[in-house]
Amino acid sequence: MLQAPQSASRADQTLSLNMKLLAHHELEGFGGLGEGMGMQLTSDGRRILWLAHESAPKNFSGVDVTDPQNPKLIVQTELPHMKLRSNSLDVVGNIMVVAYQATTVGIKPAGIDIFDVSQPEKPRLLSHFDCSGPYSRGVHAVWFVDGRYVHMSSGAADFQPRNPLDDQFYRIIDIINPEKPVEVGRWWYPGTREGDEAPPPPRLPAQFDTGFRTHNTNVFPEQPNRAFVGYIDGGAVVLDISDMKNIKVVSQWNHSPPFNGFTHTVLPLFDRGLWIVSDECVQDNGADWPKLVWVVDSRNEANPVPIGTFPAPPYEAFAKRGGRFGAHNLHENLPGPTSFRSDTIIVGSFFNAGVRVYDTSNPYQVQEIAYFVPGAPKLSPAGAIQLNDVYVDDRRIVYTVDRFTGGLYILEMNL
Amino acid sequence: MTWSRDVLAGKIPVTLVTGFLGSGKTTLISKLLLHPDMRRVAVVINEIGEIGIDHDLVTLSSENITLLANGCICCSVRTDLQETLRDLFAQRRVGEVFDFDRVIVETTGLADPAPVVQTLASDTLLAAHYRLDGLITLVDGLHGVGQIDQQTEAVKQIAIADKILLTKTDLTSADHLETLCGRIRQLNSQSPIEFIRQGEVDPKRLIDLGLSSSRASLKTLQFLGEALTDDAVSADGAGRYLGQRSAAHNAAVKTLSLRFTEPFEWLSFSSALELLTTLRGPDLLRMKGIVNVDGDPVVVQGVQHIIETPVKMDRWPSEDKDSRLVFIVRNMELEVIRNLFQAVGAIKSAPVGAT
Repeated sequence: MLQAPQSASRADQTLSLNMKLLAHHELEGFGGLGEGMGMQLTSDGRRILWLAHESAPKNFSGVDVTDPQNPKLIVQTELPHMKLRSNSLDVVGNIMVVAYQATTVGIKPAGIDIFDVSQPEKPRLLSHFDCSGPYSRGVHAVWFVDGRYVHMSSGAADFQPRNPLDDQFYRIIDIINPEKPVEVGRWWYPGTREGDEAPPPPRLPAQFDTGFRTHNTNVFPEQPNRAFVGYIDGGAVVLDISDMKNIKVVSQWNHSPPFNGFTHTVLPLFDRGLWIVSDECVQDNGADWPKLVWVVDSRNEANPVPIGTFPAPPYEAFAKRGGRFGAHNLHENLPGPTSFRSDTIIVGSFFNAGVRVYDTSNPYQVQEIAYFVPGAPKLSPAGAIQLNDVYVDDRRIVYTVDRFTGGLYILEMNL
Repeated sequence: MTWSRDVLAGKIPVTLVTGFLGSGKTTLISKLLLHPDMRRVAVVINEIGEIGIDHDLVTLSSENITLLANGCICCSVRTDLQETLRDLFAQRRVGEVFDFDRVIVETTGLADPAPVVQTLASDTLLAAHYRLDGLITLVDGLHGVGQIDQQTEAVKQIAIADKILLTKTDLTSADHLETLCGRIRQLNSQSPIEFIRQGEVDPKRLIDLGLSSSRASLKTLQFLGEALTDDAVSADGAGRYLGQRSAAHNAAVKTLSLRFTEPFEWLSFSSALELLTTLRGPDLLRMKGIVNVDGDPVVVQGVQHIIETPVKMDRWPSEDKDSRLVFIVRNMELEVIRNLFQAVGAIKSAPVGAT
């Protein structure tokens, strides 16, 4: 529409509505971050934001964000080798759990590490829980919010999937003794394990087949007997975990087909009888568009009913901007003292469409109320920002990370 | 989960600049566009040709949008204002125009600002993303008195203004300006009056006139006219908006202040307001105030028959929990309005379960 000299809506352009950049930290040149973000309140009153790196060589970084305008990198750790990624972590008190996923099956180490971070500059390894195996790549995502149970998406030495894409399932690890973690429960999608009685589930078309495996496995203190699981191509699955040895399906909702799979997060809004369900975009240049955030009426948990989607960022502006375009992580109303919690305001990361804030007060007509799309980070192979994850603290400061090079962006919402 | 969002914070403020033909709007806008503090401001004008922007200062231009070197976006109205404001927001969202944080709209000389206010309040896209920040009326320092005498539009523009800018003050005498200010005060007793010369005005003087937050603060009281501001005393010392009646005068345009100690039920209050706007909308030039709705503070404001979406505040801005309303009306008596609200205030809905 605009005439020369430059065409509008370029990847190097920053877009914002009601959000202000407070600080940007490139993490000493290792600004490719995964989807593990957790905040620790130290005994001396500091706020440490722990970040899992997306890929080797770095493992995790700790950033002091006590003053959000002046973040300080206080520690950055290395992985043992290049065929590993940490990707996910969570912290409760001074205990941090870090996931390890290998590039292929059979590689060690693969599983979780448990660290004592009471001295955040010197994380101390307490134990390693091994999840490696001939059919296992290890752990992709962890959920650890109650100080005892690690809910995770993991393979196992004794688990042979019928289809290699279905290697990660839901496991519960009890770390009441952080030096001796033990598995206390597991559930997998019926028909995905070799030897299952159930037939294998029908797969999505090859270009969208990303597997029947778990991604996020969230359990909240409001309803500790429920696990809210994004089961990727298996949709949203809610499990009754009151007996961890005998986990039962309570709800199952899947938009795919006809949609293109990859259910990532199931975020319950307990007081309102709603789930906010996010997809993950996994292909570049809009190839798997649309990847959305869904509003599901869950008042009757046996019969979840989708009632809408969040207004998506405009396809024309972002699909070809570079890299992935679409939904991914949501801020998950974590129960800890440093997490923002809201049953109406939802914050999500949308790769090249930045970080976006929505008001779901009217669940049938969700409103976009703020966004920030950083200009393309230096040296990014995607050529555009790729915001991968987001965390909002109790001060309503928004932390969001780039998947490749951009590192950490700290933002203020004008809400 | 007690924290709740400020429903106004996310909206882009819109300032309307109006004024009678020849009052100096074009001069003001031409100067404003080039002011260094106009970065991230979109200015919507009627005809870009009238402004005559130096080409050296233009960094980008399209059919109707010009980006200036200071970061100001100048946009001429293509079909109508509604379409233009929708289009601007859509283009902002996809990055086709740079992120603007506020909009200043120049209305045409004869235009009644009320339809513009209505557009902002009733178009769902516009109402979701913009809010009216204020109405600014330019009054011709040389010919203003004559226009007030002869033109009903000029009277209305002054009566509804949140701020009045007196132009061409260098071309007339102090005595004449005093007379003019007196005439303006008869029509609008509370809005600040500022003198300007040759269109020179700091953009900061044109903004933050409206209710910008649903969180109560000193600014809420300033909006209600209950806290003195620099602006409020700038011209003639007449400041307080609420809580006192304007000086008696003979003009048909009056400012009426009402106070009610009994809380209202929303249904009865809004019904009364609706009745009033339906029957007397054309004579109800401006209304604003804070209403005690079952104990909660709700800010209401309107222009003629258009009542903007009421805003429930997070708390009372001061100890005073009475409902306080101010009306600027034409050919209406205070008692008529007071009696109406008193009557509906006395009607309470039956308790649930009553037979």
